[in-house]
Amino acid sequence: MKKSYIIGIVLVAIALGVVLSTVSSSGTYATFSEASAHPGKVFHVVGTLAKDKPLEYNPEINADLFVFHMHDNNGRECKVMLNKAKPQDFEKSEQVVIIGKMKDNTFIASDVLMKCPSKYNGNEIQRGQLR
Amino acid sequence: MQYIGEELIYGEIGNLLIVLSFTGALLASFSYFLSFRYADNGWKKIARSAFAVHSLAVLGIFIVLYYLILNHRFEYYYVWQHSSESLPTKYIFSCFWEGQEGSFLLWTFWHVVLSWLIILRGGQWESPVIAIVSLVQVFLASMVLGLVVGGIKIGSNPFILLREHPDMIKLPFVQFADYLQRIGDGRGLNPLLQNYWMVLHPPALFLGFASTVIPFAFALTGLMKRDYFTSWVKPALPWSVFSIMSLGAGILMGGAWAYEALSFGGFWAWDPVENSSLVPWILMVAATHAMLIYQAKRNSLLSSFLLVSLSFLMVLYSTFLTRSGILGESSVHAFTDMGMMGQLVFYMLFFIVLTTVLLLINHKLLISKRTEDRLSSREFWIFIGVMVLVASALHISFVTSLPVINKLFGTKMAPPHNAVEFFNSWQVPFAILICLLIAVAQFFKYRQSDFTLVFRKLLLSLIISVSLAGMLTWYIGFSKLHYILLLFTSLFAVIANTDYLLRILKRKWKFSGASVTHTGFALLLMGALISNGKQSIISKNRLQIDLGKDFPNNENIMLVKNDTLQMYKYYVTWTGVEKKGVHLYYNVDYLNFDKRTGKFSKVFSLQPLVQLNERMGNVAEPATKKFWNKDIYTHVTYANLEDVNNQNPDSNYTEMTDHNLHIGDTLTTSNSLVIFNGITNSPVSDHPLMKGSELAAAAILDIIDANRKHYRAEPLFIIRNNIIFSPEYKIEELGLKFSFTRIDPEKQQFVISIAERKNNKREFIILKAILFPGINLLWIGCLIMIAGAIISIIHRRRS
Repeated sequence: MKKSYIIGIVLVAIALGVVLSTVSSSGTYATFSEASAHPGKVFHVVGTLAKDKPLEYNPEINADLFVFHMHDNNGRECKVMLNKAKPQDFEKSEQVVIIGKMKDNTFIASDVLMKCPSKYNGNEIQRGQLR
Repeated sequence: MQYIGEELIYGEIGNLLIVLSFTGALLASFSYFLSFRYADNGWKKIARSAFAVHSLAVLGIFIVLYYLILNHRFEYYYVWQHSSESLPTKYIFSCFWEGQEGSFLLWTFWHVVLSWLIILRGGQWESPVIAIVSLVQVFLASMVLGLVVGGIKIGSNPFILLREHPDMIKLPFVQFADYLQRIGDGRGLNPLLQNYWMVLHPPALFLGFASTVIPFAFALTGLMKRDYFTSWVKPALPWSVFSIMSLGAGILMGGAWAYEALSFGGFWAWDPVENSSLVPWILMVAATHAMLIYQAKRNSLLSSFLLVSLSFLMVLYSTFLTRSGILGESSVHAFTDMGMMGQLVFYMLFFIVLTTVLLLINHKLLISKRTEDRLSSREFWIFIGVMVLVASALHISFVTSLPVINKLFGTKMAPPHNAVEFFNSWQVPFAILICLLIAVAQFFKYRQSDFTLVFRKLLLSLIISVSLAGMLTWYIGFSKLHYILLLFTSLFAVIANTDYLLRILKRKWKFSGASVTHTGFALLLMGALISNGKQSIISKNRLQIDLGKDFPNNENIMLVKNDTLQMYKYYVTWTGVEKKGVHLYYNVDYLNFDKRTGKFSKVFSLQPLVQLNERMGNVAEPATKKFWNKDIYTHVTYANLEDVNNQNPDSNYTEMTDHNLHIGDTLTTSNSLVIFNGITNSPVSDHPLMKGSELAAAAILDIIDANRKHYRAEPLFIIRNNIIFSPEYKIEELGLKFSFTRIDPEKQQFVISIAERKNNKREFIILKAILFPGINLLWIGCLIMIAGAIISIIHRRRS
């Protein structure tokens, strides 16, 4: 057999491996309901911070634990325990993406991404900031 | 309405220049094509003039826009949006390319510069190559046109007026003739970009992006005319090496920025934007090696065509990913969506279709009887290397494209939740293979070589690197097999290439380009491996409160002001925060503890900072202590910013509380111990109320804080004109205020009132510190790689 065929076969095998491994190890965007249906499986949940609920952060006890409540895009509220220091300016966040899994009606998040208002494209003049 | 204070002439000039740049490029492309098609010098003259007009127009746009930014002409939306008067002048350049329009202009500008290098050299390549570059310029110029044709927006114009911008046009300020007086300062530069690397990184990166078009244009020339079908490879080679160098340097500068200014902790996070600029680089490296095989053995021409084109097309794809808004939440540094997705897709598809059609037309020539390479030939092993690079690029592209796949097929796949781990598990094996090939391939001769001879030449390097790798593995303490293998193979690559350089080439420097570049690249990988594989978070909580495996308490520590905690081999203490302009500097001292004397001595201090930015969010910036063999990276993950921002010092104090004391009594505050040691009738004080008073006494309070430091407070008790005065005595360092408010001589009882600063109890920061060993290898490797590429370019241009 020609060497170029062997190389071709190896490349195809790698490509298949890439696709399979990516699909299996990548998470899925989901809501809290879907995450509750599959406890222990990692999901990405998009939503907003429940601003009426208190934010708990007690670094004296654990600097890597921050607890808050979040509404997912369907409006369902859930308690989130984040295994990270409290992100700076978290109160101001507009949209939050949490990555983690559901356990006993609490979402155990290993990471959080947040979008702050006007970080990149806000317009203050709109809010009547005229002198 | 006549608006006051606007300078509209600059915008008009700017718009004229944009139109000139667009039409100039169009005319240049058209005439260069005709000149190429008919080998006609008349068309060439026209084309050159058109290209000159285009170039001057691009330069003009640059100057006008820069002038507007420098002079804070906020009547222009771009200037208002990206700069502010409060911005330090050294970052003014960054405003220029913060937005999409400016970065498109930067890209256009580099194409112009590179094109003139080719035009000035002249010759047969000028017409076809610049025709293609000009065609690309037409597309790029259209990105800043800002026209709306039949409801479709073509480009975004950097000279649009604030009051005419679609987001602003309905707002009330447009009604005021003197709105410029009212709107105040511009929005300003994103605080993340206020870093010196952001002045250097974008121009370098865009030079890299721009450079990929030149080899691409050479390859397309080969596909357009039979005579050029094979001869394009040789003149394109120095350009592709230049591309490897400039794009590589640009990407690594981005890494340096991320490492120094961003707080994710590291120089590479496998972020989609980073990935999408890495892929064209990997493909350009693969393309260059395919071209080298062609130069030596007249083989791999098809691969050369494909890879050179793919590298350029992936630059366009990367442009699409980062600028269309499709990455959305998945990246920290994608541009915002400007509604140009259609135009970006068209730009990309145009060149994909053009390249595919030209390749199909030539398919008979391309799929020729390929002679089989021998296993013992250099070209065989280089080609294997090319394939590994392609596989690596394929993997990165696929994962980065998940948002695109979601959009196309309606799936809901999220990016891998641990990107670094996921990518490393694939890319480390690829890197191991590449290093092995880098080490051995040069020792094979083209066509065929003697295996035993190759082995004998490699034996010394092999022995040295196996033993060194063994020692290093033990010293560093690697346990993962793929890390150990990469450590060995990268060492092997460094040593074998150095050996090749010294022994076989007999120090002929002009042939040393490849060996030097490879040595640099292998060093870079080694630095990346050691600094990443052995990075350790040293800010672990040592209290060992077990909170279950879901919540390991091992990334951040809480530092109460002036407390000393053990961290790694140091003790750290946070001594306070200082506000300078918009920056809050948190001073963190790293101390050594001498067991014999029992004393702490300062080793070094770091000032990680928080940049306050009301509009765009506060940004924390780490501080790093560099040693020759390691870096200690320190970053404030959380701090209570309200106290620092609150400028009224007295509102920070609690209400005074009274304490009835006898002499010798002791009481505690939240941060110290207060001992009431007595009363003096003749206080030493220059207090203004003392003069002419009937009675003046002072309480003697000795205070000891948590660090056993002693203070003394002597609050006064004054009777003047039958009125009692109890002036406050403040100890700023401790945040304590005392006053001596009453004396009961019969009971020998005294009343001392104390107020504490509100934040005395909670003045703390959350700190994260990471140790990166061997990261300097990475930067040294990068510099060696650039040096090697320069040697290569000089050599290949001469021959």
